Amino acid sequence: MSVGAPPVEDVHRPPRRRRTRPRRSAVAQERLLAYVLAGPILVYELVFVFYPILQGVWMSTTDQSLGATEARFIGLENYDRLFHDPSFYASVRHTLVYAAAVVVLAVGFGLLTAVLVNRAFRGRGAVRGIMTVPWAFPEIATVLVFVWIANPTFGVVNLLADLVPGTALDGGWFTSSPLAMVSIVLISTWKTFPFYSIVVLASLQTVPVTLEEAARVDGANMLQRFWHVTLPAIRPTLLLLSLLAFIFAFRQFTLIWLTTGGGPGADTETMVVAIYNSAFRFYDYSYGAAIGVASLVVVFAVTIGMLLLQRRFGDES
Amino acid sequence: MARRPSATAPPRSPRRSGASLGPLSRYGVVGVVCLVVLFPVYWMVATAVQPTADSLVYPPSLVPRSFDLSGFRTVFSELPIARWLGNSTVLALTATAITTSLAVLGAYVLVALRWRGRALFGLLLLVTQMMPEAIVVVPLYQLYSHVGMTDSLLALAMLHAAFVMPIGVWILRNAIAGIPREISEAALIDGCGHLTVLRRIVLPLVSPAVVAVAVVAFFASWGEYLFATTLITTSDRYPASVGLATLIGQLDTPVDALFSGGLLYALPPVVLYIMIQRYMVSGLTAGGVKG
Repeated sequence: MSVGAPPVEDVHRPPRRRRTRPRRSAVAQERLLAYVLAGPILVYELVFVFYPILQGVWMSTTDQSLGATEARFIGLENYDRLFHDPSFYASVRHTLVYAAAVVVLAVGFGLLTAVLVNRAFRGRGAVRGIMTVPWAFPEIATVLVFVWIANPTFGVVNLLADLVPGTALDGGWFTSSPLAMVSIVLISTWKTFPFYSIVVLASLQTVPVTLEEAARVDGANMLQRFWHVTLPAIRPTLLLLSLLAFIFAFRQFTLIWLTTGGGPGADTETMVVAIYNSAFRFYDYSYGAAIGVASLVVVFAVTIGMLLLQRRFGDES
Repeated sequence: MARRPSATAPPRSPRRSGASLGPLSRYGVVGVVCLVVLFPVYWMVATAVQPTADSLVYPPSLVPRSFDLSGFRTVFSELPIARWLGNSTVLALTATAITTSLAVLGAYVLVALRWRGRALFGLLLLVTQMMPEAIVVVPLYQLYSHVGMTDSLLALAMLHAAFVMPIGVWILRNAIAGIPREISEAALIDGCGHLTVLRRIVLPLVSPAVVAVAVVAFFASWGEYLFATTLITTSDRYPASVGLATLIGQLDTPVDALFSGGLLYALPPVVLYIMIQRYMVSGLTAGGVKG
């Protein structure tokens, strides 16, 4: 996923002596074209993404709220409050628990389903399509159906709970702790695993069949073959996907907000939900902005950590 | 991509112990997984096509006891669902057009042109990808109100495009990098400009990836909720995501009508996905994921 210039391209550079006049102007032209094409994209992203972020950083140093229309610079007061706010630390914890669980389950289930359809069998195409349908299923529809499935009175999932004797769940799938966290993790897994499944499958298809055949001839059983042959080959992909899955889970708002709303209490309030609550429920814009800046720090820290892990264990192929 | 079954799956292996999952257990596992994955989709359909009275009983029947499509009539008469779906269509198509055209240019600029600032440009797009939407939503709301762009589907589409475009560039970048360089070099030497090379040579070769990017953008905009609910405040202008979300947990819409609406909303992307699923897989993975 390195975005830097791949070194291969310079190999094709013409040798130096051929840098005659027309060639030089071609290079200049190429550069000009690059700026002309990249410029608008850059401006676009600056306006819609980076300007609001800077605005948010600035806002976090003021006392803007619904009551105070005139924003006043108050320095790091919001951050002082943040660092002494137990609910802030709780939201960081919820975010990390939620994201870690979703990464493990969604990438894990993606791997499982990809392995299932990696081998040719009758109906594979259809199965592959069916298993990845949740990816196309919109989030609001997902929320709609799962809220109904988990309805305390009529929800079909209560049938499952009835099967297990001694469980007195009372249908509190979204309203009791820690069940609410489990519910949003499972829903998010359902919604997001197909993407990882598709990418893992593509990666599996690049593992030479002969390798596995050789291991089979040597007497390795299924699990051994998977562990020693297949897994090492797709490890870089899995690590990259885990990072992506973490970023996606970190950003997740809709599936949490519309099911638990961050509750019960604040037990599923992730940082993203906390930002929204602070701004749109308590109209404390500046404090929300401070949580936002903190969330950027967290997401960057975890990303860098995971990239380092990847460099250490994800042998470049 | 397609493999010969004979080369991989030995149906009757002489050595049972070392063989992989037998065909029966494989189908068993696949069946169970498909059931679990499809159940919520099935449940939405089932709830939509049975009378509300049948949904409001416990224990629920796993198979609809009677069919009644009046929910679909109710949802059109009681709710502005047609309008909402129309808004979603306009919104998602606009966002898709912006995303796809910018992503094609961005990816080409990243892969094929040599210029100073290229690495920085790539890094910037990567960082954009990591930004939680919630961080920018308040400043954006203020910005949009300031210039009077709230309640505008076009302005919302531009915002959606800004957040999906980096993924699009990433997908296309991998696909374009997979084209042998000699092909475009030859065209360039023959006197074609870069834009001609892009249009005549690169685009046709990476068309699955372009389709993939378009679909990703369409899904993203069709499904997006946070920006939409913040920036669109008039019920008339609601995309279906926002409109339906206002009904979740509200009890005055009959269940069959609500789920009929949900079904109509979920159907377009699902049908689209099933139609182009094969493109999708090759497009998302073309050239990519190898490093």
